[in-house]
Amino acid sequence: MLFRKMIRDIRENRGAYLACMVIITLGLMIFTAFSTMAGTLQTSQQSFYEGQNFADGFAQVQAIPKDEISKLEDVEGIKEIQGRLVKEVMVYAPESKENIYLRLVSVENDAQNPINEPLLKTGFPLEDNLLNIWVDNQFFEANNYSLNDEIEVIASGRKHKLSISGVASSPEFVYALRTGADLFPTPETFGIAFMPLTSMEKLFPDQKAYNDIVFTLRPGADFEKVKTELEIKLKPYGLESLISRDEQTSHLLLSEELKGLVSMSKIMPIVFLTIAAVIMYITLKRLIEQQRIQIGILKAEGYTTQEIMLHYMSYAVIIGLVGGILGVISGGILSYPLSSIFQVFFNLPGLEGRFSPSLAISGIILAVSFSLLAGFQGSRNVLALQPAEAMRPPAPVQGKRVLLERIGIIWKRLTVQQMMAVRNMSRNKGRSFFIFLGMMVCFAISSFTWSMNDMIQKMMYDQYEKVEVYDVKLSLARPMEEKSVVRELAAFPGVSRVEAMAEIPVTLKHKWHEKDVVILGLPENCSLYNILDDEYNKLAPPKNGLLISERLAKLLDAEPGTRLTVETAMRADDKDGTLQVLGIIPQYSGTNAYMEIGSLQDFLRQRGLITSAMLKINKIDIPSLREKYVHTDVISSIDERSQRLEKFKDMMGSYGSMIYIYAMISVVIGFAIIYSSSIITLSERSRELASMMVLGMTPQEVLSVVTFEQWCLALPAMLLGIPLARVLLIGMSSAMSTDMYTIPERITLTALLLAFLVTTLSVWLAQKVAARKIRTLSLVEVLKARE
Amino acid sequence: METIIMAEDLSKTYIMGEVEVRALKEANFELMEGELVVVLGPSGSGKSTLLNIIGGMDKPTGGRLYYKGRPLHEADQRQLTLYRRNEVGFVFQFYNLMPNLTALENINLSVQIAQNPLSAEKLLEQVGLADRADHFPSQLSGGEQQRVALARALAKNPKMLLCDEPTGALDYSTSIQVLSLLKSFCDMYSKTVVIITHNTAIAQMAHRIFYLKDGRLERIEKNENPLPPEKVTW
Repeated sequence: MLFRKMIRDIRENRGAYLACMVIITLGLMIFTAFSTMAGTLQTSQQSFYEGQNFADGFAQVQAIPKDEISKLEDVEGIKEIQGRLVKEVMVYAPESKENIYLRLVSVENDAQNPINEPLLKTGFPLEDNLLNIWVDNQFFEANNYSLNDEIEVIASGRKHKLSISGVASSPEFVYALRTGADLFPTPETFGIAFMPLTSMEKLFPDQKAYNDIVFTLRPGADFEKVKTELEIKLKPYGLESLISRDEQTSHLLLSEELKGLVSMSKIMPIVFLTIAAVIMYITLKRLIEQQRIQIGILKAEGYTTQEIMLHYMSYAVIIGLVGGILGVISGGILSYPLSSIFQVFFNLPGLEGRFSPSLAISGIILAVSFSLLAGFQGSRNVLALQPAEAMRPPAPVQGKRVLLERIGIIWKRLTVQQMMAVRNMSRNKGRSFFIFLGMMVCFAISSFTWSMNDMIQKMMYDQYEKVEVYDVKLSLARPMEEKSVVRELAAFPGVSRVEAMAEIPVTLKHKWHEKDVVILGLPENCSLYNILDDEYNKLAPPKNGLLISERLAKLLDAEPGTRLTVETAMRADDKDGTLQVLGIIPQYSGTNAYMEIGSLQDFLRQRGLITSAMLKINKIDIPSLREKYVHTDVISSIDERSQRLEKFKDMMGSYGSMIYIYAMISVVIGFAIIYSSSIITLSERSRELASMMVLGMTPQEVLSVVTFEQWCLALPAMLLGIPLARVLLIGMSSAMSTDMYTIPERITLTALLLAFLVTTLSVWLAQKVAARKIRTLSLVEVLKARE
Repeated sequence: METIIMAEDLSKTYIMGEVEVRALKEANFELMEGELVVVLGPSGSGKSTLLNIIGGMDKPTGGRLYYKGRPLHEADQRQLTLYRRNEVGFVFQFYNLMPNLTALENINLSVQIAQNPLSAEKLLEQVGLADRADHFPSQLSGGEQQRVALARALAKNPKMLLCDEPTGALDYSTSIQVLSLLKSFCDMYSKTVVIITHNTAIAQMAHRIFYLKDGRLERIEKNENPLPPEKVTW
């Protein structure tokens, strides 16, 4: 019988319960979907790494003879060490607007327990000496290749046809980025190809040595010790970089994503369930106040307190159970499309959505336990009621003065309705605070989300519209002499300006901090690459020192005046030098240091050395430029700024949908809180509101009491939401900033305006519902019943 | 005396689920300016329904109702709101004051929406509560609350005062106080006052008495010699 009463009660108050259920469902959906994703990512990562013997360390050298590698096995801590040839070639595709690059990685068929062994998905084994390759599956799919297709590439200035004999993937390229400046994989234009070493040597007849080393460590070995020893041993071979697995791009991004997923799958459901629990608590508490006479009767009839409490708790449990089940199911369903999104970014075998019964059960238990807690807290008041007391109406509401009344100037200007509204806020402080919090969170989440959006836009827009303003950048395969390069390129039709650039990989050290970065050497009057300060003033690259990015300054604990030790393999005398920090600049994309190119060349004792050239060129002349240089072996890549911008816009498209999801979530939360609180308020005050209607107030005038109260809460909530959004943004920015990009910690005005709109809209929507309730309030019914 | 309310075959039928409740059956009556009418009848006889319809809180399902010649049975919600706002004052058994407004503020709530309001301070003085102006309802006794409610209803300066069991929750002496106030307002401002009660003694102070039973207005009795409220006993 009581079960029927519960179902009917729930139906009567369906608004608040529905809001609860929606929030629980959302929370559980996120929990299930994200936990599933985190789980599959983790297991696929582990089994992939183990199965393919993923390296613990990676080194790049200019050239190391093959027989030197085995000697390195003596380094203590190293388990296996193997040499490779890694070369990037351009795919000959005159019909394509964009440059397509293929990174060739050598494999040796006779290798014992190969490190980073590619996992063949379909196809045949590679044959030595033949120009056959395995390509990574994303590149394969993105370009609609089929087995035995041929890819024409340009290597050492010559065209070669490589035949695809298989599709494979490697733990090294789960997240395949071509350069550090790329933010996301673009399998259409960048792929990985595995090729027998013997075949690769045919493409690069000059290269008789390895240029890449991978190694695994013995259990318990200390990477730093191994690194120190290897650095000494590899120095003669032109060591360019030596990094651990933790610093390897693909692994780094995969683990970051995993960390993010795991924390999202923990935090978000807790937030959602807490909100749902509070709404449930308020609703139940209200219901019990309303039904105290019924409770009195039940008690008088002989129901025990426990039975009655169980009855009220069953409301919460039913809502929690239904919401939980719905959430778990929708989360399981969501994991399938989610996994296909992840597959776009991560090339991991075994990455797929699934429905995990154990996860589902723990999700439902989580939802139900939150509901139980809320139900218990909400219905605790039943315990205290004595039957006789329960049947008497509750003590009348105490009217109280509030602080604002002391401020006569404001108070006197208020209408009586507004006075009521102001006093109502202090009437139920807990609930007012909850509404306040809801509005604040709604505002903060939306302004934070939009700020992130704006900031990322700005960061990229700045990079391609204000900083890198060249039309085309030609990267040289090896350093060349400035004058001849500039002279040749300047003569090319359509080129109106050529500027040289030296990109010098170095290790900067200060105290115990050190960081591998690239110093960009730029001409003093450079106009194709702008160094900008906070206020977008252009700075000239300094002659006798460095400008460094804010992030670099933080990492090195450096400030203007600090002298940094500069280590580089590119210095002719092979000695370390020092350079002074002359200034710190914001840099959102990449982490660099800047110097005037002539002074940098002097510092390196390499007069005239450049590594790339930036061009200002007519758009119509770009294809012929590419046509001419794509075949030469002196140019390693041709970058068009417009292509990069295009790619970035593509990515923003997918990021944009995430923004909408977050914005939706914040609106749902904000709306649910405001809506459920306001309908509870309405039912609690229906008698007062009806009395006002009887006095002859219009529904609008009556509603104004409720709305004025809400706006009084909303305005300060939104104001306080600004610092909260800033805190979120700073947290997010420091969590997300990497060497590749730094997210500015600024809240934009548009974000604030949008957040204001979103919050206002939620409040307004909730008030629309309240207005309907007031219009349909039956005066006769409300006033007849004695509370 | 001018007729302000005229009812012809006024009926109200509620549909409660599958049951039809005929709360008011074809009532015919008039209300005059400045007269005090007491409506008597047992519970469930349709007293409140009658009052709610006269007061524009509820609409009849049959018959016609005119306020100064204006058809109220055809009025929409907006018109009824205006009618309640400008022409009618209500007093309830349980006062229905705003708990978080002081006595004076409760009266001002009415003053604010009225076209031609009376002074809140003066009314409070007239109901003898000038010194309680800053008290909240929870700090006032039942009789005091009812007097504030009365002042609030009067503050709009309505033509009619409709009272649903105004003394139902009060003790004898407090009831007499409230009734005296009602009577004096009726005389002083020439208002029409309708009092619903099942206390037959109160009928002694009325100009006319309506007897309701089972939804039917059985008879209307004229009281040639209304007693002053102070003389009414029970």
